[in-house]
Amino acid sequence: MKPAPTLSTAFLHPAGQALPEPLLALRKQRGAALVDMPLPTRKTENWKYSSKYLKLTDEMAISLPTAGKTGSALAVPGYKVVFINGVMIPEASEYPDLNDILIQRFGDLSDAEASDLAGRLDSTLDSKAVQLAGLNSARFEDGLVIRLKPDAVLDQPLFIIHEVTADASGSAFPRIFVDAGRNSQITLVEEYISSGQEPVMVNTVTEFNLAEGANVTNIRLSMGGENVQHIGATGVVQQRSSRFESHCVGFGGPLRRHDLQVRLEGEGAECKLNGVVVTQGKQHYDNHTTIEHIAAHCDSEETYRNIAADKSHAVFNGRIHIHQDAQKSNANMNNKNLLLSTGAEIDTKPELEIYADDVKCAHGATIGQLDEESIFYLVSRGIGRREANVLLTMAFINELVVQIPVEAVRDTVQTHLNQFFDQAFQEV
Amino acid sequence: MLSIKNLHASVEGNEILKGINLEIKAGEVHAIMGPNGSGKSTLSQVLAGNDAFEVTSGEVTLNGENLLEKATEDRARDGVFLAFQYPVEIPGVSNMQFMRTAVNTMRHHNGESEMNAAEFMKHAREVSKQVDLDPAFLKRGVNEGFSGGEKKRNEIMQALLLQPKLAILDETDSGLDIDALKVVSDGVNALRSEDRSILMVTHYQRLLDHIVPDYVHVLSDGKIVKSGGPELALELEERGYAWLGIKDEATAASSALSNSAN
Repeated sequence: MKPAPTLSTAFLHPAGQALPEPLLALRKQRGAALVDMPLPTRKTENWKYSSKYLKLTDEMAISLPTAGKTGSALAVPGYKVVFINGVMIPEASEYPDLNDILIQRFGDLSDAEASDLAGRLDSTLDSKAVQLAGLNSARFEDGLVIRLKPDAVLDQPLFIIHEVTADASGSAFPRIFVDAGRNSQITLVEEYISSGQEPVMVNTVTEFNLAEGANVTNIRLSMGGENVQHIGATGVVQQRSSRFESHCVGFGGPLRRHDLQVRLEGEGAECKLNGVVVTQGKQHYDNHTTIEHIAAHCDSEETYRNIAADKSHAVFNGRIHIHQDAQKSNANMNNKNLLLSTGAEIDTKPELEIYADDVKCAHGATIGQLDEESIFYLVSRGIGRREANVLLTMAFINELVVQIPVEAVRDTVQTHLNQFFDQAFQEV
Repeated sequence: MLSIKNLHASVEGNEILKGINLEIKAGEVHAIMGPNGSGKSTLSQVLAGNDAFEVTSGEVTLNGENLLEKATEDRARDGVFLAFQYPVEIPGVSNMQFMRTAVNTMRHHNGESEMNAAEFMKHAREVSKQVDLDPAFLKRGVNEGFSGGEKKRNEIMQALLLQPKLAILDETDSGLDIDALKVVSDGVNALRSEDRSILMVTHYQRLLDHIVPDYVHVLSDGKIVKSGGPELALELEERGYAWLGIKDEATAASSALSNSAN
């Protein structure tokens, strides 16, 4: 039997030493754990459909340089933090200096703060399920920690623009850690973009800790180029009566993978997870989500939609795990999929594990095509075929797009969707 | 206006229309009656351009132009409108967005400027009153959760907005109570004009009490077997299709059912 491929040692050399000692030590420790780490294969259940798209070449192991980069000057309707190749660019960032909301880059932390952070990084994630998040922990060169004190409310959305400059092959490892204190509120927008054409990998980890009554909204836009492999993980831990809302909108690439793990640890916590994925050409997108109902009386509501055109491939795996003590849990998962071409593929798998006996748990998954009768109805009113296709495709996801709570983000999403429609329906 | 000559059409290899001949002049209202399965709806769908039906021979012209070689959307832009027997529900596309897109496509086609959202809203509200449909319906998904009567009124509303040259009404009376029938009929009567032709397809005579046609044709087994004036409809009402030697499958089926029950 051929031995399973392991992670190349080329990936075990972190760059950037401008971090406090406790974080450097953590990195080293996480790196040591990756020695001989088997890479996911077709036989790895949670990478079954995606392992063949994963290409970790030695050229890609190099950290992308940040020196001299200023990033695209994007105007955003809120506060802004710019990361280029995983390193924060203070000159391009604009955010307030507040007493009750601390926004700091890892490099600026005191040793005591860094030591505290080092003890908490990765704590929101099930490391066995997100093997490649370990690579981020071994390689991050910078990061952002956001701490909201009790009752603090960030008055505008905070945009974190993650750009990778792919002028040469390499990788970037952006990292975000959010600590939302009791009854605090924040809307965090992560936008992943790219410039340049060389094959690169972006490996991200974003973690949220929600104390009692905290209210966090996370919007995540994956918009990198056709040369960008994106492997991201988001971990969320929620205490009593906290609320987490996420809107993940993803456009395909050679490999896009997002793992979203939510742990409802305190009674009365609720999460709402919305996701929209569109793929075309030979793109691939894989969303894996896990919701752990650990405490009683928690609500989770998950709605994901995939649209695959041409010869693209989309994957959704939604796991809900209701622990024994999580009585009166209310979990709702819905995944609908639209195939726009006979060459496209979508794989969906709801996974429910329920160990409590007094719960409400519903799930549904469908895969279909645009409805011919609906198209005929629209064109019988003079509407063109292309327009009819666009209307119906948009109708499939509009319910989720309109829920994105920041107008400028909705506009960005619509612009990208229009580009997608232009490509997907050009031959009609 | 509309000229149909020896039209044959099939669906999945079964011939449904077996040589239809029909001339409709501008300003005329024609009713096509016939039992279930006679080909009434097929004729409507074929005229609107549904690909599910294959025209095997014959010709159809609208104002001298070959209709059959045109795509559905081009027929609509040239003025063909089909009020569906079963209007399709399209959740996620608002009725307003749908109708405005259709109206603006038509205006664009006619060399007119497009209506902006506010202008269209104002116009649509007025027309919705005409068919007694609450303007709140404009914000809902196309036909989504509408009752049978609301769907039919929504069809007539679209006809009023699009002002077609040829309006084909496919069983527009089916599923309507008396009040809704009155509203829908008033809408259709409002459509009547010198430069518009209307083709009504119906199983029953009762619609024709409200919308008096100029001509009535009886369709049976894919052919028009009798034509006449409005009095023909009354005669059919009184004497049934059997009077013309036509087996009404619905009636036959129900009597067969009661026979077997005995």
